[in-house]
Amino acid sequence: MAINLQKGQRIDIGLSKISVGLGWNPNEGTGYDFDLDASAFMIDANRVIPAEEFFIFYGNTDSPDTALHHTGDDPTGGNSDGGDDETITVDLTKVDNRITEILFVVTIHEANTRRQNYGQVRDSYIRLVDDNTGTEIAKYELGEDFSIETGVEFGRLYKRDGKWKFEASGVGYREDLAFFLSKYFKGQIIK
Amino acid sequence: MAINLVKGQTIDLRKNDKGESYDLSSVTIGLGWDVKQQSGGFLGKLFGGGKEEEYDLDAIAFLLDNNGKVANLGRSVNNNGRHINFFEGDIIFFNSLKHPSGNIWLTGDNRTGEGDGDDEQIIVKLDALDPKYDKILFIVSIYQGRQKNQHFGMVDNAFIRAVDSKGHEIARYSLSGNSSYNGMCAMTFAEAYRKDGTWKFRAIGDPHHTDSFVDILEKYK
Repeated sequence: MAINLQKGQRIDIGLSKISVGLGWNPNEGTGYDFDLDASAFMIDANRVIPAEEFFIFYGNTDSPDTALHHTGDDPTGGNSDGGDDETITVDLTKVDNRITEILFVVTIHEANTRRQNYGQVRDSYIRLVDDNTGTEIAKYELGEDFSIETGVEFGRLYKRDGKWKFEASGVGYREDLAFFLSKYFKGQIIK
Repeated sequence: MAINLVKGQTIDLRKNDKGESYDLSSVTIGLGWDVKQQSGGFLGKLFGGGKEEEYDLDAIAFLLDNNGKVANLGRSVNNNGRHINFFEGDIIFFNSLKHPSGNIWLTGDNRTGEGDGDDEQIIVKLDALDPKYDKILFIVSIYQGRQKNQHFGMVDNAFIRAVDSKGHEIARYSLSGNSSYNGMCAMTFAEAYRKDGTWKFRAIGDPHHTDSFVDILEKYK
């Protein structure tokens, strides 16, 4: 049974091992592949990533504190049949002390050039799973909830009084990964 | 430092992922940028403030050998009483526009219809380049940036691209920075390097405080 968190709803996570799973079906029609990307920003008290390595995406699959691991890029959605195609695993016991928040986003690579949005991608979802029990904590159907968008802020893990909580954001944008990155990283972005 | 969102990070200059081949007999490396408008406000405009400042950006290429060094630093010459260093060596820049081999040169302001929009162009005959050259580093610096207080924090929409001899754009990288580039007067934009019998192209986006390539050269001597 999935609990579909409402936008803004919060839930205690404690110190468990969790993962964020992104799944979608390959493009069976003509045209470009659908290339969805799951990424995470490990943000400090200044609301930025303390170093480039704390941005976890297809180009950097492991955080320096080894708390986050990205299973790697799936450029088509063909990694699994019906399951997660990209996963970011989180071990909250290992998170660097400077990190107060971990933000998860999903974007469509080259959505502009390929003229794509989530509405075109079949069975696309992003979900949060408690790895200890296999329970789905939160899930968004991207095609249903964000049909005309190309970037979604899924939710954030944040620390309150030493405990981790998850807040579902569910905010869609017609933006790319560079847009999210520029919010939390003040250096140069190569696209 | 920079975060590169380009998948694959490096681009094969000889053929693209569709298997189409490019003609590398001469490749144009084009660099471009805009300078952010400083708005002087209403009064500023009234008194002629807010006028766009002139930025003089220079493109420089270092030819590196397989040790990652500039082997030939050229010579010092006197040109009509003006003293010039690095003349006719493995550094292509405003005082030494053409490499002695004739296989890489800076066009200056010679604009043709092709590649319009590039502020600076460096043309390389990649196929003809001596095998001893393993890598080409493309650098941009702001002329007299330190004394004029001009820096990459004020530069917008910077890009570097590679165009083959038939005018096909092989690769293009956009570099967008922001205020963290305040005070940075030079930038290592990109590199082209030999790999497995082909040429690869990679964006770098490393900023430097200095406005002179001579300081950047220290690492490559």
